[in-house]
Amino acid sequence: MNAAVAQSPIVSITNVTKDYTLGKVVVPALRGVDLQVHPGEFISIAGPSGSGKTTLLNLIGCVDTATSGVVSVAGQDTKQLTERQLTHLRLHTIGFIFQSFNLVSVLSVFQNVEFPLLLQRKLDKNQRRERVNQLLEQVGLAHHAKHRPNELSGGQRQRVAVARALVTRPQLVLADEPTANLDSVTGQHIIDLMKELNQKEGTTFIFSTHDAKVMSHANAVVRLADGKFLDRLSPSEAKRAMAAGAEGH
Amino acid sequence: MGQLRLLMQVAFRNLFTSKINILIGGIIFFGTLLVVVGGALLDSMDSAMSRSIIGSVAGHLQVYSDDSKDELSLYGGMSGEPDLAVLDDFSRIKPFLEKHPNVKTVVPMGTSGALISSGNTVDLTLARLRDLYKKRAEEGESPALRANIDSVKSHVRQMVSLMEEQRNKSRELLSSAAVDPLEAEALARARTDAFWDTFESDPFAALEFLENRIAPQLPDGDLLDMRYVGTDLDSFQRTFDRMEIVDGQPVPQGKRGMLLSKFYYENFLKLKTALRLDNIKQEKDLNQKRIDTDPQLQRWVKENQTQTREILFQLDPIKTRQAVERLQKVLGNQEPSLEKLLSEFLSTTDDNFDTRYQQFYAELAPLLDLYRMRMGDNLTITAFTRTGYVQSVNVKIYGTYQFKGLEKSAMAGVINLMDLMSFRELYGYLSPDRKAEIAELQKNSGLKAVDRANAEEALFGEESGNSLVAEATPGLIEDSKAFEGALGSLRRDDLAARVYSQQEIEQGVALSAAIILKDPEQLQQTMEELKQSATAAGLKLRVVSWQQAAGLIGQFVLMAKLVLYFAVFIIFIVALVIINNAMMMATLQRVREVGTMRAIGAQRSFILSMVLVETVLLGFVFGAGGALLGSGIMSALGSAGIPAGNEALYFFFSGPRLYPTLSASNLIAAFVIVLLVSAISTLYPAFLATRVSPLQAMQTDE
Repeated sequence: MNAAVAQSPIVSITNVTKDYTLGKVVVPALRGVDLQVHPGEFISIAGPSGSGKTTLLNLIGCVDTATSGVVSVAGQDTKQLTERQLTHLRLHTIGFIFQSFNLVSVLSVFQNVEFPLLLQRKLDKNQRRERVNQLLEQVGLAHHAKHRPNELSGGQRQRVAVARALVTRPQLVLADEPTANLDSVTGQHIIDLMKELNQKEGTTFIFSTHDAKVMSHANAVVRLADGKFLDRLSPSEAKRAMAAGAEGH
Repeated sequence: MGQLRLLMQVAFRNLFTSKINILIGGIIFFGTLLVVVGGALLDSMDSAMSRSIIGSVAGHLQVYSDDSKDELSLYGGMSGEPDLAVLDDFSRIKPFLEKHPNVKTVVPMGTSGALISSGNTVDLTLARLRDLYKKRAEEGESPALRANIDSVKSHVRQMVSLMEEQRNKSRELLSSAAVDPLEAEALARARTDAFWDTFESDPFAALEFLENRIAPQLPDGDLLDMRYVGTDLDSFQRTFDRMEIVDGQPVPQGKRGMLLSKFYYENFLKLKTALRLDNIKQEKDLNQKRIDTDPQLQRWVKENQTQTREILFQLDPIKTRQAVERLQKVLGNQEPSLEKLLSEFLSTTDDNFDTRYQQFYAELAPLLDLYRMRMGDNLTITAFTRTGYVQSVNVKIYGTYQFKGLEKSAMAGVINLMDLMSFRELYGYLSPDRKAEIAELQKNSGLKAVDRANAEEALFGEESGNSLVAEATPGLIEDSKAFEGALGSLRRDDLAARVYSQQEIEQGVALSAAIILKDPEQLQQTMEELKQSATAAGLKLRVVSWQQAAGLIGQFVLMAKLVLYFAVFIIFIVALVIINNAMMMATLQRVREVGTMRAIGAQRSFILSMVLVETVLLGFVFGAGGALLGSGIMSALGSAGIPAGNEALYFFFSGPRLYPTLSASNLIAAFVIVLLVSAISTLYPAFLATRVSPLQAMQTDE
């Protein structure tokens, strides 16, 4: 833990607000959030619906920009970057795991995983194949490389998505409710897989969830409420707090 | 490389997964098919028609006077003959045109038309009788001549009785007021034995009576419209090598004469009964039509049954008897009336038609004159000259001709050929012969030439002393005394026998000149160069391509092409809108996918190329399908040929069948159009796709 803290943070959020405009009404989604994530962390963002989890993840993922405040990813202030540079940052630094898997349906499992590598244009064909196969091995889908996404179960699909997110060896992987569309056992497996990769590769994970069980795997749980940073707890603390919150209801 | 392969793969797999793509593909498929097939057909027709026009009369270029009011239109314009100014002296223009290195030959021409009378059967027979009596007056009577006269006389007598019969028949239909008593009286007189008994005492008076009173009662002679091209016949035949003589012989070099178009000869001068039989046979054999189902064929059969007069009048009593015997034998009955026999014989059905057709030509045709004009006959053509007075010229018919491949084309078939000398006379320009004739007339009659400016003064002025009027007294010109000297050579027979030198043919007016080029590829260029050098030389000439010279017909394919291109244009505009819409929908359907790609790190340019590659591939695959099917259709048509269903099409097909070919340009045009349309129609949807936010990837299904 100390070693991680000693490094400069990979994500640094300072007093960030985000407003959405719905018609003429301005809806604040984040009202001044501060957060620092260090390399190698496995962080869960928790909070009820509408608390701003997804918004926060989008800002970190450079798919959205803050209304005010500073979002800095891998040492770069995202506000200073052009659209092209943001895309470049996403491609090379960040991996995404989506709630609904979001695989390209006309491509095979292998091609879906290979896709970011093709966009990167860094590796040649053999290197790509090696990398993809290695990841499929890790997620346990080596035998499904030629399948199409619609031939797989939900859990298998999400494992493909995990492989796709990690194939570029990103510093940071973001997962918005990765287990929401999965049954609890399968969801557990995905979290286990993510955890394993976090420990083996040292990849930083930030994922949102409202499932206490899933949270328990995290190094730290960042709680949001009404667009505000509530607290940053250890998993055990979080469990207790959640239980208390549940009793409170 | 990997990216492009991926894009292709994505595009290819998307190709058949979306119904919208199948719809777009269908449009592209048919669009390409249309462009390929339609374009190739029209191109083939264009080149076939150009062969027809160039090879028949037009040549590659036509030259005519720039003073002309109308544009040259070789096949006739919308409102009759175009008003052209003449080229005064062809012999001056020819060397000028021939100077151009790409000009092979120059042929003088003039196109005009006249009405000719096909001749009344009674008139023609009476003329024959008159000739025989003239011969008797000159040479004295011989037994052979006598027999000949008697035979023709009895023919005339038979005609008169036939006319009487028909008159009685029609009387039942007409009110008595409609019958001219004078006509009836004349006919009655001609029927009497007394008339024929006294015939020999004054045959010419009797003939005159028949000619003036009887012949006009037979409304038989048609007025036929005849178009002719006056030209240097030798040069014409050498230049237009598609031309071939069918009957008779070519007009001997330098002589006056005419060549009738075989088509015209068959369709307008043939015995109508025979023509109808030919037509029925052709429709049956070529177009598989049947008498019992086709109303046109039924009409022809009906006309053959009822309109037998032409045959009846042609046959003299001896031949009538022979015809009756032959028909009785063929039909196996004893009916004595030739009219009824003919009517029965010509009541053809699908079963007996072929036998009857054969019998007609074997049994009846030898007794008949199948054509109203024979090779060697003199034809009197009467035409209005440019200045409006009527001019008649006798021309000997030497033969018939046709253009190879255009035998059945009415368009090429309306053109009869005439020597340039006769043409010039009919057009109202004096040949040197005529000029000499008029000069001689003036000299012999003592008339003075008075030009128009001085006419009033000469006729009525004080100085004139009325000498002009005074000298024109009766008796000064003796009718009986033939003009002598130069005039002797101007008699009709001599004119026909006269041989003109090439110089005489070329020195004089022509309406236009056809130019054949050595290299037809350089037509446009040569045309421009000729125009420029004509202007430079101070010659007022218009130079036009064969297309322009052919008038409306030349524009036909151009118009057809415009229609096709317009149709293609509309189809592709519609396609553009549909594809555009469909692609918008497709893009909206794929917002999540595009958003995901953007989130993962795909740049906008990648999304743009993805959509474009998809459409272009779509266009390529379905376009290639359409082009392939189009090529298949064209190659099938190319080997089988498209039959020219009716005779008008022979001209456009340059023969009985069009063998269309597919050129690379048709395929390339189709591809370029298809790719362009699909690319253009996708630009906006593709642009929209690049604007899809990566945030879209985050949306959940719920």
